[in-house]
Amino acid sequence: MNTKSFNTYKSLFAGLLLMTSSAFVNTGIAAEKPNLTGDVGRGAKSWVDNCMRCHNARDPKELRDDQWITTTFHMRIRAGLTGQEVRDIIAFLQMSN
Amino acid sequence: MKIKLTTLACMLGLAVSANALAATELEKLRAEVDALNAKAIEWEEWKAPKTLVHLAGYADVGYADTKGQPGSFNVGTFSPIFHYQFSDMVMLEAELEFGIDEAGKSEVGVDYLTIDYFINDYVALIAGKFLSPLGQFRQNLHPSWINKMASAPVGFGHDQAAPNAEVGLMLKGGFSTDSGSNNYSLYIGNGPTLELEAPDEIEMIETPGLNKDGEGKKVVGGRYGLFFPEQQLDIGVSAATGETSIRQGTAGSYTYEPGRSYDAIGFDFGWRVIGLDLRGEYIQQEVGDQATSVAPTGGQWTAWYVQAAYKFNSSNYEAVVRLSDYDTPHASQDRNQTAIGVNYIFASNFIGKLNYEFNENPNAGQTADDRVLVQLAYGF
Repeated sequence: MNTKSFNTYKSLFAGLLLMTSSAFVNTGIAAEKPNLTGDVGRGAKSWVDNCMRCHNARDPKELRDDQWITTTFHMRIRAGLTGQEVRDIIAFLQMSN
Repeated sequence: MKIKLTTLACMLGLAVSANALAATELEKLRAEVDALNAKAIEWEEWKAPKTLVHLAGYADVGYADTKGQPGSFNVGTFSPIFHYQFSDMVMLEAELEFGIDEAGKSEVGVDYLTIDYFINDYVALIAGKFLSPLGQFRQNLHPSWINKMASAPVGFGHDQAAPNAEVGLMLKGGFSTDSGSNNYSLYIGNGPTLELEAPDEIEMIETPGLNKDGEGKKVVGGRYGLFFPEQQLDIGVSAATGETSIRQGTAGSYTYEPGRSYDAIGFDFGWRVIGLDLRGEYIQQEVGDQATSVAPTGGQWTAWYVQAAYKFNSSNYEAVVRLSDYDTPHASQDRNQTAIGVNYIFASNFIGKLNYEFNENPNAGQTADDRVLVQLAYGF
């Protein structure tokens, strides 16, 4: 590995660490205590806010409760949602189904 | 007296029988309630089982009529997406892409295949072949039931200006701050390869997600996005850097030249305002010179698009217009395009599209390839 590559990697990994650590710091300050079962009200808002960032909003009745779990985790990756947003959206979709 | 006693005995007998009957009915009812309770518990299990299997995806079919050529019906793609999830810890995602070529032969590819480990609420580690996180179109907007036009913007197709996929590791997640919802992707991967146009030019940057890093120098990059829910505004910036090289030969006996610099940068936005869905993206990939190469001169591949869509109130019709431009080191490959379209939204995941594309190749002094596209797209 030449010096330029090494320095590039070093800079980018430093950026990576800074970015991820800032995620923890920021959320650590701002986040409420995790709600492990999800909050239906917050889920409804997240559903409205996030789905249409890319596509038409899907009707909660289109899929079974279990299918909404994998679908929403898939969307966590696609849209960069937090784990709490995922639990909230699942709670809303399953309640509305 | 005898009659009275007989009557009393009969009444007692009837009462006992009625009680017995009631007891039987009660037991029957209790059994039914127990069975229903068991079913209810079983249904509850559907809400949160530990292991989940789910098949999603999309497909499209259509008709294309290009100026100067016969119109043809076509099958676009069939892209099933497999999800296997264990608890909230890990998920395997794989998207295949089936298509049919001009000669009717079937083709299949792996669009992505990743194991996603959800480290905590804010970070997931993604390992395998993933869609390039640079920009938005290739990673999130290309599925036909999501894309509001029947084609990709010029420069955003396979092996054009926008990187398609990468094989490596990626950290991806989101977090909230007072300013809005933040999302990020950071990756390290094998990077692209370069295809030679004989005798001494680079034809294109290939980014299908390579299973081998030919020159041994990784590419690192990512995207940082900010979403303002109140304004329904998404903005993102992407970048990548590393090395790549020209690959020659055939599968199984490839040779790779020494590496040369590779850099990419991109910006994107999405904004839903006054009934309009606006979005746009700019992406640039650049490769440097390499004096020892058979094609020593590098080059720059750049593309951008802006798109506006409007869904008419209380109807299922949607109008779309898109401008896009693609510049390469080869004038013959350059394109600019104006596309207009009308969509009919049968359901949120089932869309009919009618498009007209005005395609130009101004740098080669040509006007070419205007076409009409009709497409039915279904996401499942």
